[in-house]
Amino acid sequence: MNPATILVTSQEAGFASVRSQHPENSVRLLVPQTLVQTKRILTRWARDLVTVMEALVLPVLLMLTLYIVLGHLIYAVTHDSALYSIVPLIALAGAISGSAFVAIDLMRECSSGLLSRLWVMPVHRASGPLSRVVAEAVRIMVTTVVMLGAGVLLGFRFREGLIASLMWLSVPLIFGMAFAALVTTVALYTAKTLVVEAVELVQLLLIFFSTGLLPLNQYPRWIQPVVAHQPVSYAIAAMRGLSAGGPVGSPMVATLLWSAGIAAACVVPIAVGYRRASTH
Amino acid sequence: MSAPAQAPTVGPSVHPSREKPRPSMREQWWVLTVRFIAPTLRNGELITAIGASVAFTVGFYIPFSTPWSHYVGGASSGVSSNLGQYITPLITLQAVAFAAISSAFRAATDSLHGVNRRFRSMPISPLTPVLARVSASVYRCCVGLAVSVICGYAIGFRFHRGALCIAGFCVLVIVIGAVLSFGADLIGTATRNPEAMLPLLTMPILIFGLLSVGIQPLKMFPHWIQPVVRNQPISQFSVALRALAGDTTRTAVPLTWPVVAPTLAWLLGFTVVLVPASIIVLSRRP
Repeated sequence: MNPATILVTSQEAGFASVRSQHPENSVRLLVPQTLVQTKRILTRWARDLVTVMEALVLPVLLMLTLYIVLGHLIYAVTHDSALYSIVPLIALAGAISGSAFVAIDLMRECSSGLLSRLWVMPVHRASGPLSRVVAEAVRIMVTTVVMLGAGVLLGFRFREGLIASLMWLSVPLIFGMAFAALVTTVALYTAKTLVVEAVELVQLLLIFFSTGLLPLNQYPRWIQPVVAHQPVSYAIAAMRGLSAGGPVGSPMVATLLWSAGIAAACVVPIAVGYRRASTH
Repeated sequence: MSAPAQAPTVGPSVHPSREKPRPSMREQWWVLTVRFIAPTLRNGELITAIGASVAFTVGFYIPFSTPWSHYVGGASSGVSSNLGQYITPLITLQAVAFAAISSAFRAATDSLHGVNRRFRSMPISPLTPVLARVSASVYRCCVGLAVSVICGYAIGFRFHRGALCIAGFCVLVIVIGAVLSFGADLIGTATRNPEAMLPLLTMPILIFGLLSVGIQPLKMFPHWIQPVVRNQPISQFSVALRALAGDTTRTAVPLTWPVVAPTLAWLLGFTVVLVPASIIVLSRRP
């Protein structure tokens, strides 16, 4: 077979090279392609009943448990309902625990060859990672709203007006996205089991050493600086300020700085790792 | 080039008298167990097994130490000589449970990748891969137990009742771990969803742990939930372990039949449920 015959046959068969109106790296194609892939990921997640149940029911049960076990104690110390720290804590925990799922999902699609398939097709290469980011944002939002609903049933109320309430919803989103970036980075470079287990443990430590579980003065003095300055504590402080009232500015800035820092540290490794996962 | 040497063909035509190979279940079990254990030494999973015990210790001890001395009191309260003595059984249970449920992750991965299906087509008893995964979990449980007891010593936990009770403590923890990992294995095999497994099973363990007398005395819980808290398995397990560990206070949990019986009843109950469940799950076509 020489190239000429191939040319002839492909022309006869109508395989003339398609001149697309836009090249594959045009920004105009990026948006619809991202939306299509986002829809694909979200549909897959929605069909996975076990995971949906896990992401929504179990955190609510954990919230109830923490409220039962620690409610009195927190009320005795802060003279306000424990829900104003437990609901944010569980909303953040839900965002964190979901990030492991996202990372594993990515690795599964890498090993099944889907990433390489998309890589060789005329698809904008940024649309893959971007669609995951958007899908993750939707997932965190749904989880947070469900946690909020459960909290409202228990007696959680917004006292600071509509704008503060909407900002309250955005805090788990921002923090969850940063954490998902971190987990994805780890996932792209290490073994699968390790990621899931390590995320569970880190999540556990972040929950147990945050001001969402107990007020700061209940921790031993030597560990208080760690508890006060870790990202989950800042996020919870900001969310408490936005719902029950109190200082918002400085914890919010600290949350944003933490999230931005984590995300910035992960951007390049993710880009490199994603390319490697798609091309190997 | 010389002609390649004829590979010796082994088969019925050459050795008509040779019997069909009869694989021993014990050997197969060992090979499959090593298949699960060997990678843990290389890929860092041993680190998470150790890290889990340490994380549970610091996670339960440090945040609750101040409220404990404030609301429960020290040795004079009669509950326990110190928080370490009180809480270490729960920490051990959590660490072992965490190690046990990783069995579900492996089972789901095997199920998903068709490894189980391949095993089904080979002369292997359907129970052997399960037993191998459970054995691998028991190995992780042993690591978890050892590390959490060492961590327990660091926070003030001591055994007070002699060698026999120490052995009893360890055996009880490992048996609980084995039963849990058998159950987790079945769930993993049935659902074939590796990514969901660990979060799905960790949160219930945390919920049961927090809602148990392992973390604070029964009277600290709201009235309406006290019956549940008192009778749920983690509470009973931690009371039994506390009895086996002993204490220096006069009101230490005695090692008597009424204290240990509920634990054995729960374990028996789990087994009674798990055996038919395993028959259903394992006889299904993968």
